[in-house]
Amino acid sequence: MASVRRKKGENLLVRYLILGGWALFCLVPVLWFLSIGLRPRTEIITPQPIYWPTFSLDAWHMIWEDWPMWQYLRNSVLAILGSVLIDLVLAIPAAYALARYEFRGRDDIAFYILSTRMMAPAIVAIPIFFLFRNLGLLDTIWALMLVYAAINLSFVTWIIRSYMLDIPKELEDAARTDGASDLRILWEIIIPAILPGIITAAVIAMIFAINEFLFTLLIASTPDAYTMSMALANFTGGSDGVIYNAIALVAFLAFLPVFLVVVAIQKHLSRGLTMGAVKG
Amino acid sequence: MTDTPLRDVGPAAAAGPASQIRRRRSRRMKALFPYLLVAPAVIYLLGITLYPGIYAIIQSFHAVKFGPWQPVGFDNYVRLMGDYQFWGALWNTFVIGSISLTLQCVLALILAFYAYRDPWVQGWRIVFLVPMLFMPSAVAFIYKLSFLDARVFSDLLQRIGLIDGNLAIQSSVWGSRALLILADVWQWTPFLFIIFVAALQGQDEEVEEAARLDGASWFSIFWNISLPLMKPVIAVALILRGIDITTMFTNVFIITKGGPAFGTETISYFIYRTGFKFFNFGYASAASVVMLILTIIIAQVVVKRAFVSARN
Repeated sequence: MASVRRKKGENLLVRYLILGGWALFCLVPVLWFLSIGLRPRTEIITPQPIYWPTFSLDAWHMIWEDWPMWQYLRNSVLAILGSVLIDLVLAIPAAYALARYEFRGRDDIAFYILSTRMMAPAIVAIPIFFLFRNLGLLDTIWALMLVYAAINLSFVTWIIRSYMLDIPKELEDAARTDGASDLRILWEIIIPAILPGIITAAVIAMIFAINEFLFTLLIASTPDAYTMSMALANFTGGSDGVIYNAIALVAFLAFLPVFLVVVAIQKHLSRGLTMGAVKG
Repeated sequence: MTDTPLRDVGPAAAAGPASQIRRRRSRRMKALFPYLLVAPAVIYLLGITLYPGIYAIIQSFHAVKFGPWQPVGFDNYVRLMGDYQFWGALWNTFVIGSISLTLQCVLALILAFYAYRDPWVQGWRIVFLVPMLFMPSAVAFIYKLSFLDARVFSDLLQRIGLIDGNLAIQSSVWGSRALLILADVWQWTPFLFIIFVAALQGQDEEVEEAARLDGASWFSIFWNISLPLMKPVIAVALILRGIDITTMFTNVFIITKGGPAFGTETISYFIYRTGFKFFNFGYASAASVVMLILTIIIAQVVVKRAFVSARN
């Protein structure tokens, strides 16, 4: 089945024109990003767009020398990793209960967890803004961590539950007759068995956290809590206008590690993205 | 209770009343155990849904500027119902969202259909994934630069000779909407593509094979066999994408700021602008509550059904 499976009447030329065309549509803007990131500022906004710019590392120097980029990076990494950790600690036991126990209200609880994903950030933005203000957490990475964790918790729980449902019960029953407690079974048998699922959930949560914009905009108002995405939005340099080459370069640098991680979990991606509804 | 093991039945059953009490207590413990496991997650989520929901409801009955809250009854809601900007924002969200979602779904289906039995399907997946992995805020800035500030698109069209003079995207409502849609389609079609490819790959090949032997054309196989089988998956994927599209904020905030003439102001941006630009928190909360009610209705009616059927 590995060979080219051709269906009757299907034209291979059409297939490759369509797939190749979309690949170009995906990649040409990315090359354009890169060309913006590696050109001097004077060649960005000109009366005529410049398609073959002079190569320049202006943006690279600007990022590291004029801005506290390391601090933004550290803020991003801490807030995101912290949020993923909170998610896993909360989601794994919850997913275990939802996958393995029969109890009243189970399906309603599962659906409630799912439905929190449907809440528009804008709806809860104002109360959450005041909540953090009253707690004195505005402009801290703690607030970002808590918000990112909340946004992703439904996703993470559902993905992990889906993987747990696939584990044959016999595996646990054997341990149970040996007298292992439920929590020990969770820790020593279930978690190792669904590790790919947990990693997938963590990667997807990480991507959504990197992408989060509205809450970050409201919570982080000084460089103390700026993340990478906020730093970008603030590369507007006052009188200088928007510093596009720095934005493009940072976006590119942030893209590379994410890309590598996602390629590594590629096989699990479709399942993760549908919260377990599709088994890839 | 079928899953919880009843380990302590055996010898303990013959023991005295003290152990009976202990056993009853431990059974109660067992019944509670799953609740204890889900409780932390549920409490956390209630904190970001129930608490803000109640807070928004209370705030929506007040005039909240900078000082103390002034109770105003239903004033905010009455004003909201007569606010053409609010209705406009709902309409914009619907127009931009439905066009974008339809385009993404059709494109992803076509691409998935051609890619899933291609020998290089892994490669296509990786290439098509790329746009999805850029930070949306950065993508928004580059689209703003290319279409508005540096007018690259306009320049390219002039070079091919399609238009004379500059394209005025910024001052055209539909031009600006098209730009938001384009940025969304570019970045998020892969989301649906990845899901559809996986669904098609998971389908039983024998059914297809049988239909082909019967002389069915590839299109009729796709339309009559593959597509109906994919329905539940498509529903789940569209819901997840639909949620993100209808809450679109980043691109509006960076590319169009809701303009021109509020023509691209989505509901999220409306709430943000009312609350955090004009500090009219009571009024913004009223809009949030209306959205919340809509969300709950949609979640109960559409989403529950879709996720249940996808699982089975």
